[in-house]
Amino acid sequence: MAGQLPIDSRPWPVRRDQALQDKTMQQTIQFVTRRVANAKVAAYTAYPEGERLRQRAVGVKRRSVENMEEHLAVFAQQVEAHGGQVHRAKTAADAIRTVLEVAKNHGVQRVIKTKSMVTEELELNRAFESVGIAVRETDLGEYIIQLAHEKPSHILAPAAHKNRAQIEALFDQDAAAYHTEPPASDDILALTQYARRRLREEFLAADMGVTGGNFLVAETGTLVLITNEGNADMVTTLPPILVSVVGVEKIVADWPGLTEVIQQPALSGVGQRLSSYTTMVSGTRGTDQWEGPDEWHVVLLDNGRTLLKDTPFEDVLSCIRCGACLNVCPVFRQVGGHAYGSVYPGPIGIVETPLLTNFEVLPELPSVLCTLCHACGEACPMDIDLPGHIVQLRKIKRDRHMDAAGVTRSYRWWARFWATPHGYRRSIRWARWGQRWFVRHGRIQSAPGLAGGWFNTRDMPPVASPTFHEWWERTRGKGHRS
Amino acid sequence: MKDEGREQTLQLFATCLIDLFRPQAAIAAVEVMERRGSTVEFPAAQTCCGQFSYNAGYHREAADLARHWIAVFEAALNNDSHGRIVALSGSCAAMIIKEYPLLLYRDALDRGDSAVEAKRWQERAERVGEQVIEFTEWLAQEKAANLPASLGIGVVYHNGCHMRRMLGITTGPETVLQDYGFSVVPIEDADQCCGFGGTYSMTEWRVSTAVADQKLQALGKAREMGAQCLTSADFGCLGHLGGRLSRRRDPFPVVYIAELIALTDRGQLTVEELQQMAHQKEKS
Repeated sequence: MAGQLPIDSRPWPVRRDQALQDKTMQQTIQFVTRRVANAKVAAYTAYPEGERLRQRAVGVKRRSVENMEEHLAVFAQQVEAHGGQVHRAKTAADAIRTVLEVAKNHGVQRVIKTKSMVTEELELNRAFESVGIAVRETDLGEYIIQLAHEKPSHILAPAAHKNRAQIEALFDQDAAAYHTEPPASDDILALTQYARRRLREEFLAADMGVTGGNFLVAETGTLVLITNEGNADMVTTLPPILVSVVGVEKIVADWPGLTEVIQQPALSGVGQRLSSYTTMVSGTRGTDQWEGPDEWHVVLLDNGRTLLKDTPFEDVLSCIRCGACLNVCPVFRQVGGHAYGSVYPGPIGIVETPLLTNFEVLPELPSVLCTLCHACGEACPMDIDLPGHIVQLRKIKRDRHMDAAGVTRSYRWWARFWATPHGYRRSIRWARWGQRWFVRHGRIQSAPGLAGGWFNTRDMPPVASPTFHEWWERTRGKGHRS
Repeated sequence: MKDEGREQTLQLFATCLIDLFRPQAAIAAVEVMERRGSTVEFPAAQTCCGQFSYNAGYHREAADLARHWIAVFEAALNNDSHGRIVALSGSCAAMIIKEYPLLLYRDALDRGDSAVEAKRWQERAERVGEQVIEFTEWLAQEKAANLPASLGIGVVYHNGCHMRRMLGITTGPETVLQDYGFSVVPIEDADQCCGFGGTYSMTEWRVSTAVADQKLQALGKAREMGAQCLTSADFGCLGHLGGRLSRRRDPFPVVYIAELIALTDRGQLTVEELQQMAHQKEKS
């Protein structure tokens, strides 16, 4: 069954033009992506065994996905043996229903959350708010964009598009609303201290915690969360009820497997050998234990993922959400995350969004947001064939007649002419004849049809006289010898 | 390994962009190859490798062009397994070497051919692909003959994305330029795309131009550091950046790498000569 993803329903040209006009966002995104992309390269350079470990991690992820169902069954058994409950959700709607039911059963009023792309996929915050439950994001980046009423623009750094001044303004507003002291200045320490103080109140007041999950270990039924802020420790230990919503593809069989993959998101995401905090949950609080939730629900979300199993796109399920592909993408660096209109932006987003939803939403993504430079394929630590998939998705679109008829016709005639030398020559004669109306000062400055867009911002020389073919024929060809 | 003293016959794949928009680049390449004792042949039935269509998802159309390309160059090679096809574009070379085999395999199946027939196409593509070499890669194997005294003209070399990431050619072309006495000026974010992307530059011209402008901004800094021209082994990138410079009325010289080498060979390398070459007017 196809998955459901929330989208920005404004058409692509509107999303694009807004992004291209937002110079602050562009500058901020370019600064951040360049910094982390360079940090990743530096980290690998300083880590001779890094490449070998990365390859082993790829193997673990591939094998885990291959035997996903088997491992998930073991995982469920283990969680339930340790006091938790496991729910399978086929779609986003199923998952939301399950989570809201748990909240309702316990009369939950206030929820705190760790950063989680899967709950973005569900728009879980909106679902909570619609039934009157207050939600607080506790990851610093997520907290910032929650205050701004925005969505993440980057899968690892949700507020990557916001600069310090913008963040200070948001915190000032928040301080006024909560009648508390605003941050002392816009320096990073002051801003962080403000968030820390405010979030502490929220941690202590919450009656339910919601997490995503970076990994699930089948053999012990363990949820693994990695953070750089330690907020997952608080979310998983303070509130009495804990709900973890995790994509089915996050499963690994065992602890040796986990140790192979656990460093990869931070290493490729920000160039850090391991994230600062690793939080693990293996069950509810036992009678002899001080901490942990009284009740733990794990919602295993499919939402289109198993559609990819046993297809040429299966490697997409190895994605560890490190964001390395976003950081190196020349298009992402220009338009930022929001222009994609999907929860998942960047190269992985333009591949995953149509695949998870069977092209039901944002089908334009693979065509409009990629120059096929292959930087993503080079950057992906999980060896996901992103450029290859993007080309294949474009082909699927064409095969399903999703391109404009005129475009399809242009490509068809182009190939028909150029597949023979005679047709090629004929097309050149026509071009020479046709270009007379478009040459200004020795350059072509406009053109009709498919090529038209080029000339909005660029010139092109006219078709040469002679072309190389003609030059060769005149100087070296049969014409010359005779 | 190059067979010292053995006269090699090279089949030239000029690419459609150079054929139509910068024939001087191919003429220069011929000059460079012949000066080094090679016999150059130009299979005149060649057209285009089909990458434009392939990247846009038009694989049936791309496969038509690919089959034509293979037929033309197989005929030219005439079963000589040592024969070389010199491609004047890293991107087109990558298309042939890396994409043709699977493209033709899948397309054959899509057309209802048997798996055996599909496999046969794949193998044909692989075989001819093994004989394709990108121009600067070929040049790097030749020793820089009669080196002129280093003139130290500053050039920025833009390495095309497919050249870098699909063919794995990274520093080779810059080394060649240095061997020929050029001073290679580094450019910020050298591994970033120029924004061309084939028909992407037409359909998504706003984004494509934004990416190009980023590259030109980096080029601006390199110019301050002494760069006097922009070159590449891919005319796709050069045509894109050059077209953008032209629209901005910026006369900064943009030339294909073989043109620089040919000029050096002739001992005519000066900045004035470079500028003239870059803006060569159409001959009547």
